Amino acid sequence: MSLNIRLVVNGRRHTAKINPATSLLDFLRDTLGYKGVKICCNTGECGACTILFNGKPVNSCVVLAADAAGAEIVTVEGLAEGDRLHPVQQAFIDTGAVQCGYCTPGFIISVKALLDRTKNPTAEEIEEAVSGNICRCTGYTKIVDAIQIAAERLQARS
Amino acid sequence: MDYFEPKTIREAVSLLARYGEKAKVIAGGTDVLVDMKFKEEPSCLVNIKRIPALSYIREDDGFLRVGTLTPIREIETSSLVRQKLPLLWEAAHQFASLQIRNTATIGGNVCRASPSGEMLAPLLVLEASAVARFSRGEKKLPFGELFLGPGQTLLGSKGLLTEIEIALPPERSGSVYLKHAVRGAMDIAMVGVAVLLTPDAGGKKAKDVRIGLGAVAPTPIRAKSAEKALRGKAMARAVVEEAARRAAADAKPITDHRASAEYRRWIVEALTRKGLAQAWKAATGKEVDR
Amino acid sequence: MAKAEYSVLGTSIPRMGGVERVAGAGIYGIDLVLPDAVRGGVLRSQYAHATIKSIDTSEAESLPGVYAVVTAEDAPDVKYGRTSNDRYMLARGKVRYMGDPVAAVAADSEATLKKALKKIKVEYEPLPVVLDAEAAMKADAPALHEEIPLPANLPKDTRVKNVCGYSTLHVGDPDRAMAEADLVVEETYETKMVHPQYLEPRIAATRHEADGRLTVWVNAQAPFGVRSEVSKLLKIPISGIRVLVTEIGGGFGGKATGTHSSAGLEPICALLAIKAKKPVMMVLDKAEETVSTTVRAPVKVWIQTGVNKDGTIVARKAKLIFDAGAYSGFGALAGSRCTQMLAGWYRTPNAHVDGYIVYTNKQVCGPVRGPGGPQAAFPVESHMDSIAAKLGMDPVEFRLKNIPKPGERIAGVPKLRDVSLGETIRVAAEKIGWGKVKLEKNQGVGIATGSWIEGSGPGGGAVVKINEDGTAAVLIGKVDYGTAPRFGIPMIVAEELGIPTDDVTVLNVDTDASPWDAGTVGSRSTLVAGNAARLAAIDARNQLLRMAAKQLEASSDDLEIKDRQIRVKGTPVKALALAAVATAAHNEIGEVIGRGYFDSKAVEAEEKEKGSSPPFTSHAAIVEVDPDTGNVKILKYVAVHDVGFVIHPQAVEGQIEGATAMSIGQALCEQVLFDDKGKTLNPTFVDYLMPTWNMIPKIETVLIKGYPGAGPYGTKGAGEIGCVPPPAAIANAICNAVGVRLTSLPLSPENVLRAIREQKGVEP
Repeated sequence: MSLNIRLVVNGRRHTAKINPATSLLDFLRDTLGYKGVKICCNTGECGACTILFNGKPVNSCVVLAADAAGAEIVTVEGLAEGDRLHPVQQAFIDTGAVQCGYCTPGFIISVKALLDRTKNPTAEEIEEAVSGNICRCTGYTKIVDAIQIAAERLQARS
Repeated sequence: MDYFEPKTIREAVSLLARYGEKAKVIAGGTDVLVDMKFKEEPSCLVNIKRIPALSYIREDDGFLRVGTLTPIREIETSSLVRQKLPLLWEAAHQFASLQIRNTATIGGNVCRASPSGEMLAPLLVLEASAVARFSRGEKKLPFGELFLGPGQTLLGSKGLLTEIEIALPPERSGSVYLKHAVRGAMDIAMVGVAVLLTPDAGGKKAKDVRIGLGAVAPTPIRAKSAEKALRGKAMARAVVEEAARRAAADAKPITDHRASAEYRRWIVEALTRKGLAQAWKAATGKEVDR
Repeated sequence: MAKAEYSVLGTSIPRMGGVERVAGAGIYGIDLVLPDAVRGGVLRSQYAHATIKSIDTSEAESLPGVYAVVTAEDAPDVKYGRTSNDRYMLARGKVRYMGDPVAAVAADSEATLKKALKKIKVEYEPLPVVLDAEAAMKADAPALHEEIPLPANLPKDTRVKNVCGYSTLHVGDPDRAMAEADLVVEETYETKMVHPQYLEPRIAATRHEADGRLTVWVNAQAPFGVRSEVSKLLKIPISGIRVLVTEIGGGFGGKATGTHSSAGLEPICALLAIKAKKPVMMVLDKAEETVSTTVRAPVKVWIQTGVNKDGTIVARKAKLIFDAGAYSGFGALAGSRCTQMLAGWYRTPNAHVDGYIVYTNKQVCGPVRGPGGPQAAFPVESHMDSIAAKLGMDPVEFRLKNIPKPGERIAGVPKLRDVSLGETIRVAAEKIGWGKVKLEKNQGVGIATGSWIEGSGPGGGAVVKINEDGTAAVLIGKVDYGTAPRFGIPMIVAEELGIPTDDVTVLNVDTDASPWDAGTVGSRSTLVAGNAARLAAIDARNQLLRMAAKQLEASSDDLEIKDRQIRVKGTPVKALALAAVATAAHNEIGEVIGRGYFDSKAVEAEEKEKGSSPPFTSHAAIVEVDPDTGNVKILKYVAVHDVGFVIHPQAVEGQIEGATAMSIGQALCEQVLFDDKGKTLNPTFVDYLMPTWNMIPKIETVLIKGYPGAGPYGTKGAGEIGCVPPPAAIANAICNAVGVRLTSLPLSPENVLRAIREQKGVEP
């Protein structure tokens, strides 16, 4: 059987017919083409598929696409304004926090959500926000720098 | 696969009555979706997410009521929970990643009935009840009786959990939830220990002690002999240590890839000792006597 | 060399390719969409050791939507292997681990694929399983490869079984030196199997083109290796295969081609595409990766050291049992490196080490980041602390006492030129506060050192083409997965050409166009592709200057490229636009194409004469142990490295920090677990525990200067050495904290608590 859903992704309306067993991750990647949402563990453990679901970071691999009906989704593709990268994206580049880059989209979404919640996060708040995002390349050290610089730049902007 | 999005509890319950064992209820989906990918698709999926007004936290005449669809993150960020049920806050705070907390629901965690389920040992010591709807009507199932085995509850295939009802513990009580895992919140617990301790009026003796153990038996359990060893006793170090040893004996752990049974017993003992001391301090402001 | 000598080298430019990565552009292998492609998948053995009696694919073949089913019968009877041809791409007659590919299917959807794989009926006759390498060597163990002879270099009368490689090292007279030593310390150590767990799943996609050629898309580290492997296994000429590399989401040696990795994915995919007459795309899910692709091999080590009372090492003996897994894979090479390293990197005048590389019914050893390194350094550097303790010497002082001198040898390096080991120890000790830092109860400090040698191997080329606008396109055979190709390489080309780094593009590998290369492995990207690209850029620059010299009526020696102009040094008004010269080349030499290659033989010859300068490192950690649970928390971590000249500091630090964290994972929590039948118990990320943010402290990396290496401008490889010291550094800190010496990884809470309790048990 199939199901019709409507949702908004990165400000754009989509209508689609889905198999109700489909995960939001597979739907975003394979049906709508948002390949920036990365597939990795498929069990909700690594954070590579993190997106904003009505403003909150979730692992799209363990969310039913059907549950996104009527929801507003933001993926990493939706952060830049034209050619201007979001400060979190720019901070990842500037600090060398992007090695292979595969965890990067999910990480950036988690960090954006954190900085949406609080402009000046504590070490504990950062730890809580990103412990669900595994990076295998950087040892996290350069990502610590990225989050700090992104927070500073966002504070300066507001 | 048949798929339904019931809009009312009644509709959901009648679907469960119709499909029985073939139906799988899905709420947040963080566990069910993994099973669907790696094990098997159920022949019928009942998604209860569209039933309105099942996500709430409210205080009601000495009870805290939590709707079955309430996400773990809502519990964690609720000032009401933080203030009235710090034990539940602690469990929510150590529940997997933030992404999962935003998705997983309390009802899902309860119905999953995993021995290591983060919310279960705390709810067990809070002597919460599961409010469930069956086709014949509503039932209140005490947590002490709810769990039958891994993945098995009194809800069976036909009951729908709608609410967790928690009697607020006495104001003077102290509580703590200690989880043991290599990567903290991110891992499935090797052992979880929940302690709820109410001192007597003089603040010397333990009037009521409840110790809940997770991941050390087919279901979350109470460490009954440990509780008994403490009840009515002055909280001295030797008593606490004896209770911790008894808790280790109350545990019925298995050896699996996460930990050996022997190690789990050691941890039960260590965390019970630590948990009792912390709960006592939270309740009385005092250290356990030497 | 000072930074000021260069215009861009030594700075941290934004990573090339960064924007598409942070923007989530679909650039990786997993994002590939091939029109009309069907999905391929592999049926894997459910027995760790069994004879295949029969395979019946008829039901699967008749399923609607199934395009092809293949077994060994569909492929040429050709075996493969790196040091021993002991493996088929699809099992023929026998399976040797749970994960061995038995058959493969191409189908119209994931669902049909799963259904079809289930419908393939394989009749197995189970054979006895051996999972422990030491047990596998014994006479009563089941034989895994009856047809493979024991290694020819095994000493006579060695009675062993299932040994697929033997490595040895002998210096001086260790028997005598050991007998005469003031103190002899003897210990045994063990490490466990870990998986590289790069985040992007492995993929392979193949299209049989209309002209009969095969196009293969891979996210592999060694595309030319993939080409030769597909050619060999399917008996297709090299000219009939084109391999294209997508962007790659991590590799760490795990994606170093099918042969090395034993995934064998690409040849299977090609076989399917040919039979299905459709493009085929294959993706391994993470659970399938853990059970089927290559791993860091587990080892058992016996180690014995003789020292004099003053702390001078006089002799080392060691024996290694290196668990290669079901096939030789990279085992003999990694095991050989491990054998050599067990002699240590201190002055050791007398040594004897035996290394046995052994088959077992488990996942196969691959070239995982610093293959053999952590397995050797955990015993060697833990042992160093044990010796120091027995001598009553400070571990730092003991190590400094035994630093080799220039001109001396260490294992794997016949002659040392400079030795930075002592400086790394002193800096690490200072940064961690050795002897000064105030430690609370249950806190401890530990240090461990390491060395690594850039993997030897063939050379490799580079081509630098100058476009008519004066920009440069660089072709190399190495791939970018967060390594030099898009950090240091464009900087080298920009530096030598005198153009902005933004004007340099490094192309991804296309085996039809890119220069041949052995692969992005062995800490060799900058050494090989960097040297080659530098020479190619110089060649291109010389061609440009020669053309400009005629027009400017100057000697090309007096010209320079600056601000996108070619001008006379000191007379900037006499200048030509770089673009104009590059365009004029169309009518003179066609195009400016610079060519360079890394001459590995010349480097070897030079090192033989003058000695070489391997990278050294010292790591130091402060940990806190929870005596109730055995939990270890790292409070501070310092990684001091000599990696020679540093082209891109941020990138080098990033490599070191990543390697360190990966190795902290092996130290504290990672391991692949088995039941007694050889089934992997923790294939998914739910139970295969890799370090998360909350486990890893901010790693303080210090790069020391002044010891140039064989790479361009004096660089040394930096991608692997960070993996070497962490397990020992942490184990030493634990020992300092709670007084127990852990001799087996991981240093998990359970293992630590068990050791603490055992120690208490023996005390009165």
